[in-house]
Amino acid sequence: MADDASTQALFDLWKKQMEEGTRAWTRLVGQLGQGGQAQAPDPFAFWRPFMDAQMTGWSQLLTQAPPTPDALKQWKQFLDQWIAAWGKVLEQAMGTETFAQALGKYLDQWLSAQGPAKKIAEESTEATLQALGVPSRRQVVGIARQMVDLEERVEGVEDRLAALLARMDDLFKALEDHEAAAARRARERTAQ
Amino acid sequence: MADRFAMARGETPGEAQVTGQWQEEVERNARRMKNFAELLLHPKEPVVGPTPRQVVYRKNKSILYRYESDRKYRTPVLFVPNLGISRPYIFDLLPKGSFVEYMTGKGFDFYLLDWGVFGPEDNTLTLEDTVARILPRMVRKVLESSGAPELSVIGYCMGGPLAACFIATHPEVRVKNFVNMAGPFDFASAGLFGQWLDRKYFDVDKFVDTLGEIPADLVRVGFKLLKPTMDLTTGLNLWWNLWSDDYVEGFRALNKWANDYVAFPGEFFRQWAKEFYQENRMIRGELRIDGSAVRLAEIRCPVFVVGAKEDYIAPPACVRALIDAVGSTDKEYVELPGGHISLIAGRGAAIHCWPKVSGWLGARS
Repeated sequence: MADDASTQALFDLWKKQMEEGTRAWTRLVGQLGQGGQAQAPDPFAFWRPFMDAQMTGWSQLLTQAPPTPDALKQWKQFLDQWIAAWGKVLEQAMGTETFAQALGKYLDQWLSAQGPAKKIAEESTEATLQALGVPSRRQVVGIARQMVDLEERVEGVEDRLAALLARMDDLFKALEDHEAAAARRARERTAQ
Repeated sequence: MADRFAMARGETPGEAQVTGQWQEEVERNARRMKNFAELLLHPKEPVVGPTPRQVVYRKNKSILYRYESDRKYRTPVLFVPNLGISRPYIFDLLPKGSFVEYMTGKGFDFYLLDWGVFGPEDNTLTLEDTVARILPRMVRKVLESSGAPELSVIGYCMGGPLAACFIATHPEVRVKNFVNMAGPFDFASAGLFGQWLDRKYFDVDKFVDTLGEIPADLVRVGFKLLKPTMDLTTGLNLWWNLWSDDYVEGFRALNKWANDYVAFPGEFFRQWAKEFYQENRMIRGELRIDGSAVRLAEIRCPVFVVGAKEDYIAPPACVRALIDAVGSTDKEYVELPGGHISLIAGRGAAIHCWPKVSGWLGARS
């Protein structure tokens, strides 16, 4: 009995810690969402049902004798549900206008910093390669693009040629039909 | 055997069963350790794409493959996957775990369009290039190579709307059937991506003008952000199933694919984000390709739409919208269990999705 009580106490302590952590997280998200923005999600709605079910299951498993490897299975299920619940919470948080706005702002700042840095890096690399007499990335890309264009033109010519050949086939067929009809008419006239 | 030893040790049948279970668990752990060490110390490159195939046509980076089959059905099938983002070997990942193998096994003359891995020289590639120049050639090559007068088209993910644009703007091409698998159409219900790419927060012009192309690493970040707990779930499931050699083999192949991201050509991304996600032009009938309006109502062939219940990339509502937009009389929508990827790859797909698609197509091919 003493073992049962200590196991239960351990679980209660753990559960309390989890809930306190979640509460702190919710407060943090709530602060981000202030100022007329969307409400912070309430992860407790996800937590309680599976948390309680798992706790009960675990208590039963660990107090029964002898313990079986099913405890590991239970632990895996618990982790799966825990991840799924957090996934849902994160999904809700990331689905808010606040998150989209923050992400957009972050991307904008990143691009503002990235743009000039990228340009400087490209220019200096270009200058260095030019000084060394080595083709730069831009030149290689330019050649590749010309090849793509050339391929497109060749294919255009191929398409037109195929269309011409098809038309010629039609013409030859029509001509053959015409000649055959003329021969037939001539034969008919001769027979008459 | 374990029972007999346990009984010999004087244990009760219940205790003997528990002992047996623990022994099994210990053995599994030993196998886990062995496989873990192998994954870590001798990482093997998984062999993907096992179904025999031949290259039918190549245009710039795009390749058209034809897969060997007994050809029970006369109408060939062209599979159009997403452009950029990921590689198409997910559709032919492993023996007995491949959509392509399943379809060819059922007797379909199966063609796959691999859009290819784009480089900076492809940054000027546009929606018009894909719909009005690449797809028509691919379709022509399919018809030439199969000798059939008409074909069926399956679009997956972004391949769905691209194929629909092609079918709607090329009435002269005889498309017998169109299957849309997890292809987004109504971007008003496009989930988290729809929200993040909203023009209020996302300046697509600045994005493309600054970066030129959308690098593979950035594509990876975007998709990881969409499901931040995915890696945790993958890791946990790997640990749990690490004792199984089959699971590890599947994991290697899937993990290779899941980390093999492909860059987006800049101009194509600009159009995709702006015209589809931000302005939702296609479903509104306002999308134009090379000057012609894309009217989905012009699609009159039989249409089959497959949505996935837990798809967070193309949510079911976003996929289902095609059904109401097409002018076909023979049309059907099914919503299957799974997510965007598990709809078409994996054990669940082999049970739920593949038989549905092959059955629907088979009855009309």
